[in-house]
Amino acid sequence: MIRRDFSERDIHMALDGELPADERASYDAWLEANPEMKARSARFTADREALRAAFAGVLDEAVPVRLRQVVLGEAPVKAAAPSSRWWLAAAAAVLLATGGFGGYFAGIDGIGQEDPAEDQLAEQAIAAHVIYAAEKRHAVEVPASDKDHLQTWLSNRVGLKLVAPDLTANGFQLVGGRLLPAGESKAAMLLYEDDKGERISLFVTAESTENAKGTYASAQDGPQAVYWLDKGYGCAVVGSLPREQLAVVARSAYGQLMAGLAS
Amino acid sequence: MDEKKAAILGEIPRLRRYARSLVRDRDSADDLVQDCLERALTRLDNWQTGESPRRWLFTIMHHLFIDQMRKVNRRGETAMLPLEAGEGVAQPAEQLEGIASREIIDALQAISPDRRAALVMVAIEGFSYAEAANILGVPAGTLMSRIARGREELRGLLDDTARRRAIRIVEK
Repeated sequence: MIRRDFSERDIHMALDGELPADERASYDAWLEANPEMKARSARFTADREALRAAFAGVLDEAVPVRLRQVVLGEAPVKAAAPSSRWWLAAAAAVLLATGGFGGYFAGIDGIGQEDPAEDQLAEQAIAAHVIYAAEKRHAVEVPASDKDHLQTWLSNRVGLKLVAPDLTANGFQLVGGRLLPAGESKAAMLLYEDDKGERISLFVTAESTENAKGTYASAQDGPQAVYWLDKGYGCAVVGSLPREQLAVVARSAYGQLMAGLAS
Repeated sequence: MDEKKAAILGEIPRLRRYARSLVRDRDSADDLVQDCLERALTRLDNWQTGESPRRWLFTIMHHLFIDQMRKVNRRGETAMLPLEAGEGVAQPAEQLEGIASREIIDALQAISPDRRAALVMVAIEGFSYAEAANILGVPAGTLMSRIARGREELRGLLDDTARRRAIRIVEK
């Protein structure tokens, strides 16, 4: 048996069954002599078992009829353009990632499909913000002093139970709100202002069939939108705050909006 | 039914599992499988008799996945929203997963598509390095470094999740 130095690389090879059989004994001895490497190997092994377990159930699921039909040639003839949007979900899934992620998609033109709903929502929200947040006297239709009426009115028009989030903890006071068109439907815009006059807006619509979230900016130095979409509602928080600060405010606003919708 | 079609049908469960590990959402994963099957059926002639249908189909599906992820990725700069996993967007089909499974699936989704594919090929689907490198169309060395980095990244994310959970418990 030829003795050789092992490295972390061998941990992966051993785990994946790629370590030559005649090296196995000396590898095991190396592992025993290196507690740190042994612990690493144990963690990777446990992760692999967890991964396998997490997906094991898929093999037992009934095969969806539509997939069988494709193979058996019974599927209805599809349009020439692929209609599958699985990759959008994949993209959205990346945005759901547990860690930080730089660089994601900001528009999907170029593949011959319409803008996805999240882009439309973010663009509408940014457009509304650019127009109305700049208005000093006519920024809102219904002022915060008439908050109850504002909430009832917008809820009825938009078709969602809308509760204006309290963002005072983030330094923002409600200015008021207005009703806006959003594609074929309607959206509520709620405007907030801090003591320096910095404004942010919430844009909420009941029209959405997708699940997604992310950030979006239509121009390099323009306001940014932080948006969420789910079946039955879409929401964007727009402002020119530093990104982190906007995300914090957005999270607070979103949590309260959700609580309001469910109330 | 001819033999080729029967063989393809037999691979669907494995294709669905691979798709599910690449694309979390169940319907979207099945869309990917459907795209793959449709493409495969237009190219039945490319499938050499005697060649494993599994490798052939995985290659097709992998290309569909990676091509599309690259297109999506090239499209401009947007920052990741610093939200925690599971927050905000509902994931209805995944309700039945245990917490451990959900955490590892979330983490898997968070690593780069290239590394995810390499790791899944070997760790879940059980392909050898040579087979996986062939399917992914990369040299064996590249495959190995993707697997190693993918594993480390996955572990790092799981450690982060565990740490956050610990902090949250302390805060309560």
